[in-house]
Amino acid sequence: MDNVLLAAVLLPLLGAGCVWALAETGRKVVRISALATTLLTLALAVVLISQYPVGEAEFAASETNVSWFGGEDGPIDVRFSIALDGLSLWMFGLTALLMVTCVLISWEAITDRPAAFYGTLLLLETGMLGVFIARDIILFYVFFEFTLIPLFFLIGIWGSEQRRYAAVKFFLFTLAGSVLTFLGLLAIVLWNAYHSADGVMTFSIPELTASLRLHPIDPAVQLWIFLALFAGFAIKVPLFPFHTWLPLAHVQAPTAGSVVLAGVLLKIGTYGFVRFSLPMLPDATAACMPWVLWLAAAGIIYGALVALAQSDIKRLIAYSSVSHLGFCMLGIFSLNPLGMQGGVLQMVNHGLSTGGLFAVVGMIYERYHTRKIADLGGLAHRLPLLAFFMLVLTLSSIGLPGLNGFAGEFLLLLGMFQRAWTGVPGDWVIHLRIISVVSVLGVVLGAWYMLRLVRLVFFGELREPIRADGEPAPRDMSLREVAALAPLLVFVVWIGVQPRFFLDRMSPQLDGIATQAAKSLDQKPPELGEALTDANEVAAAGEPTRDH
Amino acid sequence: MTTDTVKLLTPEIVLVTASVAIFVAGAFLQGRATWCFGAAGALLLAALGLDNSSPCEVVSGGGLSIDKLAVFARWTALAVGMLLVLLAWRRNTTSEYVGALLLAVAGLSLVVGSSDLVLLFLGLELISIPTYILLYLDRHDAAGQEATLKYFFLSLLASAFLLYGFSFLYGVGGSTDLRLIAAGVAESNAGGFSDLAKIALVLIVAALGFKISAVPFHFYAPDVYQGTSHANAALLSVLPKIAGMVVLLRVLLAMPGVEHAAWIVTVALAVVTMTVGNVMALWQNNIRRLLAYSSIAHAGYLLIGLAVALAAAGGATNRWGNGIGVSAILFYLAVYAVATIGAFAALAYLGSPKRQVDGVDELAGLGRTRPWPAVVLAVCMFSLAGIPPLAGFWGKLTLFAGALGVQPTPDHSVGLWLDGHLQAGFVVLAVVGMLNAAVAAAYYLRVVATMYFRAPLGTPKAEGGAGPWVTMTLCAVLVLAVGFLPGLLLDRSNQTGDATIEQAAAWRIPAQDDE
Repeated sequence: MDNVLLAAVLLPLLGAGCVWALAETGRKVVRISALATTLLTLALAVVLISQYPVGEAEFAASETNVSWFGGEDGPIDVRFSIALDGLSLWMFGLTALLMVTCVLISWEAITDRPAAFYGTLLLLETGMLGVFIARDIILFYVFFEFTLIPLFFLIGIWGSEQRRYAAVKFFLFTLAGSVLTFLGLLAIVLWNAYHSADGVMTFSIPELTASLRLHPIDPAVQLWIFLALFAGFAIKVPLFPFHTWLPLAHVQAPTAGSVVLAGVLLKIGTYGFVRFSLPMLPDATAACMPWVLWLAAAGIIYGALVALAQSDIKRLIAYSSVSHLGFCMLGIFSLNPLGMQGGVLQMVNHGLSTGGLFAVVGMIYERYHTRKIADLGGLAHRLPLLAFFMLVLTLSSIGLPGLNGFAGEFLLLLGMFQRAWTGVPGDWVIHLRIISVVSVLGVVLGAWYMLRLVRLVFFGELREPIRADGEPAPRDMSLREVAALAPLLVFVVWIGVQPRFFLDRMSPQLDGIATQAAKSLDQKPPELGEALTDANEVAAAGEPTRDH
Repeated sequence: MTTDTVKLLTPEIVLVTASVAIFVAGAFLQGRATWCFGAAGALLLAALGLDNSSPCEVVSGGGLSIDKLAVFARWTALAVGMLLVLLAWRRNTTSEYVGALLLAVAGLSLVVGSSDLVLLFLGLELISIPTYILLYLDRHDAAGQEATLKYFFLSLLASAFLLYGFSFLYGVGGSTDLRLIAAGVAESNAGGFSDLAKIALVLIVAALGFKISAVPFHFYAPDVYQGTSHANAALLSVLPKIAGMVVLLRVLLAMPGVEHAAWIVTVALAVVTMTVGNVMALWQNNIRRLLAYSSIAHAGYLLIGLAVALAAAGGATNRWGNGIGVSAILFYLAVYAVATIGAFAALAYLGSPKRQVDGVDELAGLGRTRPWPAVVLAVCMFSLAGIPPLAGFWGKLTLFAGALGVQPTPDHSVGLWLDGHLQAGFVVLAVVGMLNAAVAAAYYLRVVATMYFRAPLGTPKAEGGAGPWVTMTLCAVLVLAVGFLPGLLLDRSNQTGDATIEQAAAWRIPAQDDE
């Protein structure tokens, strides 16, 4: 198992090089080699997942850890260190799976410079896989930022009319947040170097997590670092009200870009919270929890209401992402093992269902060159297979029991309710209860806007844009398109029927994070307006005290 | 002049001799393509003569200090010089141009190894005077003449300021040798950092601020860059900046106690410079003007490194090693120089002898019409913006990590009046710097977006020739190589930084004795 993980990350990079080198040979060769690369990467991911030791928090055998620069004796020792663990396992698998879908749905849609397109897509895959498995804080940030470049080109070159504006806005918005995240991550490393027992500077994420558990950061400093990390991660999620870049980027991106954006890239934000904020800054997390939950609930309702009012299918699904990611944040910040499992499972679920929905929208657009709900109707008569896929994905998205969405949403709401009614959150208890109830309302709204979409577009009387003379009626899904979506459906059902299989592999690690965060919450429940006064007091007192 | 001194000065001697030979031969011979060959050969020979294996101690009385700092900076100077010669490699490059270019490189190489005020001043003039010639030679229209004159007069003014500042420093330190000055200043510190030294500080910072184009000494840069050729703009944005930063380091580190005054000056300059540079660049349509403001902004980032280095010299420890400030400056200078020269080389390649690329709009659709220059420009822009995994990111990392890592030592008093706020000040500096990096991304992205997302308006001539093509390719490769393996350069700059701070601390010992 030694270097399988390394191979899986580097393979797309190699594939990108091959695809660029093959640019002259034409579209066929290019897309087949891109497909082969993604399939091979997926195969490696499957091997890794199948070998994952159930009940363990880490997958030590998958680790690759070599010095990158700085050297072991110098003050800076940055390592190329990657490994899978319970948190990253499914995100890693999801990325590998969605990339195959992305290549397949771009098969006919991309005619302009296909080699550049697939090369960029594969480059993006390396970046995304790397984010989830990086064990070194600097390496994480390198991958985190690097994903911006390929997606910038994907949106800007192969997007729709407003693509330039959308690409630049996406890039700048995300960058503006993540520069502060960078300082926050460095601050964590520095604090730890000063206060850990041996005083050694480490960039290793597991070592930092373990060390900060023994020597927690001063609460007031934690708050500032939390806010710095929050700037980057909340924009990436995107948490209301930092979401304004998202609908634009989604609508303007090519189908494959929307799929990875919704499926994987947004999860980097939530992943960042679970990986860094919760375990490394538990006190600040506890202090900010009600605020974040309010934003999550606001996002759930706001995203749902705005989705209800959309006339463009892609835009509707983009806003539904805002709502769904609100649910993920709700689960994670309930600081409760159940809620956390639900939140992380919902990250995967959202990747499958929304990724799939964007693919379906792309297929509709390829056939009718419109995404307006008003232009379309009764498509189930014309495209029964597509309607079937759309319906299943919709049901998954609104959380029908038996499908994946239910497992995730149920768990995370359960966790949230537990936190609001049985946890002891102090002054905020009434707020938490309102948030829980309001977010359930979001589930209802979610069912409303999604089912409305399906009814208007797929059922009722057949309504299509007028075709030019002699143009054949659009045909139902081809084998290639079925192959792109069927694997997603398999997982939609599998997670719905047997969520234990997925939860068992992530729960050991997530429970650890949740318990620790819950402990800080119990010790020091957030009080109204306390967090800021705390920080001000310490700031006024000057230098925070040191251990030794 | 001992044989030792001659040996130490081999690179400069080789360069100056070659330059004089080229000047003289140019008057008699016509073979124009050969000048660049000669210059490149001279640079290689100089590199061979650069004795990097054993950095020796200060040559007392000789005014030279070939320490690690000098060795690193000299390598940078020769590498940058090689890139600039390659960039100027055209069929009609005149002997005067090549000769003056070599002289400027020799000046840079000299200035980074000097530890004597007179030699420092001479070295800086050896950069400036050939630059006036270069500016005049490459462009003859009204805009070019305006640029040349503007640079000439303002540079003279800056030199005057520098001399005036040096004379105050001489007054305080009682010598022109930096080491003796350090002792002298330390002695005069008995009643606090003397006012005369403060005057010297202000004048020197103002003069060198002109060299590195720090706000508010930057006003010439946009006009001059716009009014000259790409090759000259590349030279202007690199050579004086390296010289200015290294001299600032050397002089300020040789003034014990200067931290109290210099720290606040540096921080203020850094904040204003990067903010003004980045914000003004957002509105530029002329590509050289845009890169001029970008070069101003980068001077601001570099000043963060200077603030960190000053704090380390003042006794504050740094978690990343006390040399991180100096190391960050040197590393950043190198990656900035490569990316900037790469960008200008790509632009020079895209133009033709008759007409060079001016507007950002002229780059529209370059991704389709001229894919390779577009890739190079994009790589350089992303590197300047500091996006990983390109070289510029590691530059930003070392600068900002250094700023966050500053810690006043509690056990022995540093004596900085800002002890209590030192750390907070650096955190604010890092935050402002990082937000600036986000603003900067906007205009770098605009260039990339224009190249890749807009329909071509026409195919650029791309008659720059092989020289600019080789330069830009080399630069792109270097940016990527340092991006993936930053250790190649960073380990060296870290060692250099540590050695420099140690030396500065050693020079300060009299100061502690006095207390």
